[in-house]
Amino acid sequence: MSEQTARAVADLDVVVDCDAHVTEHQDDLLPYLDEPFASALATDVDDSYGYISSFYPSAGFLTPVNTGKAEGKSVRSSAEVREGMALLDTNRVVLTPTQNLYLGCVQHPELAAALGHAYNEWLLDTMLDPDEGLYGACVVAPQRPAAAAAEIDDRADEDGICAVFLPSGGVTPLLGKRQYDPIYEAAERADLPVMMHNAAGTMLLSFPNLFQGFDRYLSSHAPVHAMQHMAHLSSMLTKGTPERFDIDFIIQEAGIGWIPYFTRRFDHEYRAKREDAPMLEKLPSEYVSDQFYFTSQPVEGTGDPDYVASMVELMGPESLLFSSDYPHLDFDHSADLFRVLRSRLGETAARNVYGETALEVFGF
Amino acid sequence: MFRLNEEFCALANHCVHQGGPVCEGQVSGTLAPDGEGGLCYEREGEVVSCPWHGWEFDVRTGEALADRNYRQPTYEVVVEDGTVYVEA
Ligand code: FES
Repeated sequence: MSEQTARAVADLDVVVDCDAHVTEHQDDLLPYLDEPFASALATDVDDSYGYISSFYPSAGFLTPVNTGKAEGKSVRSSAEVREGMALLDTNRVVLTPTQNLYLGCVQHPELAAALGHAYNEWLLDTMLDPDEGLYGACVVAPQRPAAAAAEIDDRADEDGICAVFLPSGGVTPLLGKRQYDPIYEAAERADLPVMMHNAAGTMLLSFPNLFQGFDRYLSSHAPVHAMQHMAHLSSMLTKGTPERFDIDFIIQEAGIGWIPYFTRRFDHEYRAKREDAPMLEKLPSEYVSDQFYFTSQPVEGTGDPDYVASMVELMGPESLLFSSDYPHLDFDHSADLFRVLRSRLGETAARNVYGETALEVFGF
Repeated sequence: MFRLNEEFCALANHCVHQGGPVCEGQVSGTLAPDGEGGLCYEREGEVVSCPWHGWEFDVRTGEALADRNYRQPTYEVVVEDGTVYVEA
């Protein structure tokens, strides 16, 4: 760690953005698609997200990007990744997908596995460059756990792959079910953490009646990221997933305030309902603090430093990883949270959140 | 007061959680992992559950099964000449 005092993000030696998106399009993925889908989908296409986007079910919200009010920035090359890094003063990124955030809801299971595979091929071929700080997560389709495990086994030793990416939005059944164990076994073998990331358009696809009430982007996006993660986390804790697998999980894009609520509420009820989670050998909150990390964006309430500081303290600053979500429309600049952490929790906590903890979690 | 075969145990009745009458609760076993990915039922007769919220306690040690930070006070039990004494 540098001896130099860090007054701003740019003064830090290590700044890891734990959720930096690429915006993979049809033209990026198609050349990497294996048979039989390469032939089945060999047809003339436009340079856009294109017809393959229809394989990824989405609620179809009207978003500020659709209306042109937020910029839908392209990140389809390593040069475009570096533009984002320069804007945010980061020096390492863990690249995550955009279209493939929806992969967990693709109906055709073999196609889902093939799309995940094609994405990883493209990522490795055109994006990852550990010498320049460009790392990435290997995307797997939960619809085909055995194929996902094989994908992880194949990618584990590739330079620049630092995590497994489980597109968790709308995934049913929930992620604690035994059918997913091959994925966790492979992650454990590969010694890679598992990132769980939802997408606004997928989160409620499995809850159609609820979805009727969440008919706006805002009404869905604000509460449901946390709801979806609480559902998966509840499933994983009751089924003992973190007890049975020695892996770290990284929960993304749901903000911070729900975490101290969830862990306390879960412990509170576990004390009376332990037989629902008999695999656990310690409190649910202890598994969360030992094996789960949370990426910071979108930090709610940055206009209220007292709120942010107390939430971070309550969830445990050692569980928090800085992330920007760049270039998505609700991305966080790196400066905001840093200012709050540095002034309220001290420089060491700020350094840890901004990169030192990520170095350990991803094993860079 | 609980009797486990020849062994006697005594627990405070006032629950460490919110004061419920622990000792009026059910004595039973509990679900546990069977070591092969499934579940089994074990410790029959060694677990008492407070009837208010269902916290399970080990009748011998008073420990809450879910959280060892909570322990129901226990008392020494002595048997002399067929009479059982609890040391308060
Ligand atoms: S008072 Fe005993 S379990 Fe709540």
